Amino acid sequence: MTMTDKLSRNEHIKAESGYLRGAIPEELAQIVTGGITEDSQQLVKFHGMYMQDDRDLRAERTRKRLEKAYSFMIRLRIPGGVCTPEQWLKLDRIARDYANGTLRLTTRQTFQYHGVIKHNLKTTMQAIDDALLDTLAACGDVNRNVLATSNPHRSRAHKAALDLATRMSEHLLPRTSAYREIWLDGEPVVGGEEVAEPIYGKTYLPRKFKAVVAVPPDNDVDIFAHDLGFIAILDEAGEVLGWNVTVGGGMGMTHGEPDTFPRVADVMLFCEPQDALAVAEAVVTTQRDWGNRSVRKRARLKYTIEDRGLAAFRAEVERRVGKALEDPRPFSFTSTGDRYGWVEGEDGRSHLTLFIENGRLRDIPGGPSLLTGMRRIAGIHKGEFRCTANQNVIIANVDPQDRPAIEALVAEHGLTSQATALRRNAMACVAFPTCGLALAESERYLPDLVTALEERLALHGLAEDEIVIRMTGCPNGCARPYLAEIGFVGKGPGRYNLYLGAAADGTRLSKLYADDLPQEQILATLDPLFAGYAREREEAERFGDFVIRAGYVAQTFKGADFHDATGPLNRAVEAGA
Amino acid sequence: MSAQIILPKTAPFDDDSIAGLNRILNQASETQRAWLAGYLAGLDAANASPAAPPAARPAEPLAILYATESGNSEALALDAAKLARKQGFKPTIIDFADLDVAALASHKRVIVIAATWGEGEPPARAARAYGALMSASAPALTDTTYAVLALGDSAYPDFCSVGKAIDERLEALGGRRAVERVDCDLDFEAPARDWIARSLKELAPEPVAANVVAVDFGGRVAGETSRDPVEAEVIEHVDLNSSRSSKETIHLALGFEGLAPAYEPGDALDLFPENDPVLVDEILRLTQLVDDGLRGELVTQRDVTTLSVNLVEKYAAATGHAGAKALLDEGRAREWVAGRQFVDLLEAFPATLAGEQLRALTRPLPPRAYSIASSRKEVGEEAHLLISAVRYESFGRPRAGVASTFVADRLKSGASVKVRLKPNRHFRLPENDADIIMVGPGTGVAPFRAFVQERRAVGASGRNWLFFGDRSFTHDFLYQLEWQEALAEGSLTRLDLAFSRDRPEKVYVQHRIAERRREIVDWIENGARFYVCGDANAMAKDVRAALVEAFAEVRALTPDAAEEQVAGLERSGRYLQDVY
Repeated sequence: MTMTDKLSRNEHIKAESGYLRGAIPEELAQIVTGGITEDSQQLVKFHGMYMQDDRDLRAERTRKRLEKAYSFMIRLRIPGGVCTPEQWLKLDRIARDYANGTLRLTTRQTFQYHGVIKHNLKTTMQAIDDALLDTLAACGDVNRNVLATSNPHRSRAHKAALDLATRMSEHLLPRTSAYREIWLDGEPVVGGEEVAEPIYGKTYLPRKFKAVVAVPPDNDVDIFAHDLGFIAILDEAGEVLGWNVTVGGGMGMTHGEPDTFPRVADVMLFCEPQDALAVAEAVVTTQRDWGNRSVRKRARLKYTIEDRGLAAFRAEVERRVGKALEDPRPFSFTSTGDRYGWVEGEDGRSHLTLFIENGRLRDIPGGPSLLTGMRRIAGIHKGEFRCTANQNVIIANVDPQDRPAIEALVAEHGLTSQATALRRNAMACVAFPTCGLALAESERYLPDLVTALEERLALHGLAEDEIVIRMTGCPNGCARPYLAEIGFVGKGPGRYNLYLGAAADGTRLSKLYADDLPQEQILATLDPLFAGYAREREEAERFGDFVIRAGYVAQTFKGADFHDATGPLNRAVEAGA
Repeated sequence: MSAQIILPKTAPFDDDSIAGLNRILNQASETQRAWLAGYLAGLDAANASPAAPPAARPAEPLAILYATESGNSEALALDAAKLARKQGFKPTIIDFADLDVAALASHKRVIVIAATWGEGEPPARAARAYGALMSASAPALTDTTYAVLALGDSAYPDFCSVGKAIDERLEALGGRRAVERVDCDLDFEAPARDWIARSLKELAPEPVAANVVAVDFGGRVAGETSRDPVEAEVIEHVDLNSSRSSKETIHLALGFEGLAPAYEPGDALDLFPENDPVLVDEILRLTQLVDDGLRGELVTQRDVTTLSVNLVEKYAAATGHAGAKALLDEGRAREWVAGRQFVDLLEAFPATLAGEQLRALTRPLPPRAYSIASSRKEVGEEAHLLISAVRYESFGRPRAGVASTFVADRLKSGASVKVRLKPNRHFRLPENDADIIMVGPGTGVAPFRAFVQERRAVGASGRNWLFFGDRSFTHDFLYQLEWQEALAEGSLTRLDLAFSRDRPEKVYVQHRIAERRREIVDWIENGARFYVCGDANAMAKDVRAALVEAFAEVRALTPDAAEEQVAGLERSGRYLQDVY
């Protein structure tokens, strides 16, 4: 950007916040309202929370002389998604004491609380601190929770990935003491903080920043959807030789604004293990300095790379690291999904991956009691828990003698569902009623849609086929819908954009197939494609690949052509879709 | 044309007669009036002893004592005073709260109107004088003639026990009972009127020769207001709790044809409810009665829910039902009626009843008083009520508060409802520059909404501090948007909140009072008045205890000394309660 460009509003809020303090303490003390001002709403994101309101209740509130039903979503920072049974028990207690009685596993390998009212925020944050966890930088214009592959069958590489994720998270963590001061009653720093943020400076990053670490052949972290990624390059013994570094992935876009688009990351270079943190910091600081601070919708790293070019960006990163780095090495991914059920690691330990529909752990009256079941498992488990990037959970490092007891609890509480292949590969964001961005239902609607699709697929003999299906209530992409073989993105109440043709390994974006589709027409729209897939697919051909080869939809090669050649191709029109 | 003649209301005639005389006298010509005056004078002269024109006899002093909680005894005391004045007494009305028991012996003629509250207790404000009267230090009353009217609710055990005890005590102290005590139930109006008339007749001094009575032209009794029921129209009916709430609190705005009742902040409205027709139908079915107009009467006129031992006795006598008799004979009735209603009695001990029997068994359906939540200075000719729907289950049956669910379920916008002003002179705002502290959780906040509206409208300079509480901040914060506005513009100075179900540990208003004790004591010592409205059973007691504790802590007082501080506030009218 040039000096004459006007900075976006958020840049002023950050600059004037005194390293993320603003008026947060004063506004927490205002008991007559459950809300905070818009400026503070921007700032608390850096502390890991969003102000939301129950949108189901909006219509009735004014008549009842009540303000909106404000509450806060609190997102934890758990690098790699790993926590201990002791932590699990504490997090579970917090969910029942201060939140809405649910723990929500998210696509960032962490937990979210929903429904925490303002007057319980500090108590909740202190309880999280008591569990030796925090929420710092879980949201906001900073490096957010760092993902690491969860699939534990390659134990040593997984350990290295988790180690890098954890060190990267700590290294890129904001240094401001505002968090401790506001939430944990820490002493204020007298005279302000001089060199508070050596990496970020006082305006932090232009926009959110997401980093991940992957171990091929598993792409469960969806590495190409992220700003910064590290792909483990292993030797024949399974030890990490170094990392391929990816940059410039991202999902979010805005409806009707074609200069915003999802983008898959570029594989930029290879670095040795000892250079990984320096490379990460260089990517972050280059984006800090080069990123667009005038147009917030164009502020993600992916647009910086589009605008400056990958070569220029790589050169700047190498300059900041202080040496030239190698070109990327070969690798290949097979799947973005999780491996459900029991697996054995290279070290002989057992791990159980549980499918949690849309990541929502709760007790359903008369149905499965997922929250209680996990609490009881945490009561006896001696290993650890891993949240996956697909919103599932792994009971990891199970002691062989505990296995029968854990299996019994899993059965008792309905933690094993007889989910079909379609449902196991389905993922929705939260959306209504809490998310302020949602344009359409997501978590509350996808399970029913999957049921209806299952019936159609069964009619075509496709009941056992794995098809990745994802839904979000808005185009910002929390559930990474543009990397799904079938993606739905909310456009308005009961209406969705339907995207098709992404690669199952997460390397290719989808294409808009039907715009603003009423939900009643979803089945009729997809049915001819299912029929064609059943009839004409090649050996092991995935649905996302088939719809392109068979001529139903155009292929998206890169983010910048995401909005080109949309809609059904001739083949689809002939099929009556 | 001569000046219009209007006889004062205090003239020794009933209202109809005064109206009649006014009509006749005003239509009369001067000649007619002169004739009448001459005739009456001549008649007297003819009948009188030939002595000089008689001197006016001084009016006879009469002390009218009342012990009131809900205001009914007080209203009756005012009625009695009015009537007494007409009959030549010089009445003095004394609130038990202000009664000096030692000075009681100086009164030769005494009327006592006493309410019994809760489980046989005197009204809170009357407790001190009541205790003194019952104590050994009470004076001998050998020169005193007295009469006691007791008010109570037969649905409770120890019906009218306070009135009974006072009656016995005055006799034991040597007093002479002029008339037998009458114990009034919720439908007290007719028997009370009757009793007052008889008492005044019995207490009247021996007739003397004098036949001209000194007329007290004192005029209107202070605070007198019309207590006739009026029709109101429901102009707003909204449940203030969120649809996620476990509670249902109705904001009811009433409009009036013409003027609203002349209420002041702190007053209540009696609302005349109707019974649930479904319950009435069940009662008709259980008693095998057919609806011959009885149904309508039961819905609108009779109390078909309350069950008391007294009613079981009447029922057993009327039906001869062996089961009901056994209940009484075995002494189980008191336990059995607890938590049950009339319909349970009919179901457990079925009997065919005649319509007349059913009428005789049931009491008239009483009105229910609700504190007014508005100020006329802000809402004009409207009155707002805040009514919490009472619903619960007992003995396998869903139960519903008669008046509150009548309002919640069957009173819709546009409907009309009968109401009557019920003044509460002991719950008034202080002078405009005095500070007030208001403690009103739940529907207890109603009069404080009226207080804040009133003080805003008159521009009162005193500070206003509200303690509010309920279950959930998000779903039960009654009038939240209004309080936000009041804080922003300054008509509410401070607000403290206690929501009991927002977190594991329960927080109530008394906990907030404890937290703010230093400032509260400061405010009070600077002259603030302390108001409490709402639940009498737990909250009011806990709040009072919290204030005593606050004084003890802040001023380093012994428990007794701190208690005396609060008792002193009560005596001086600076700690005021409106509890139910």
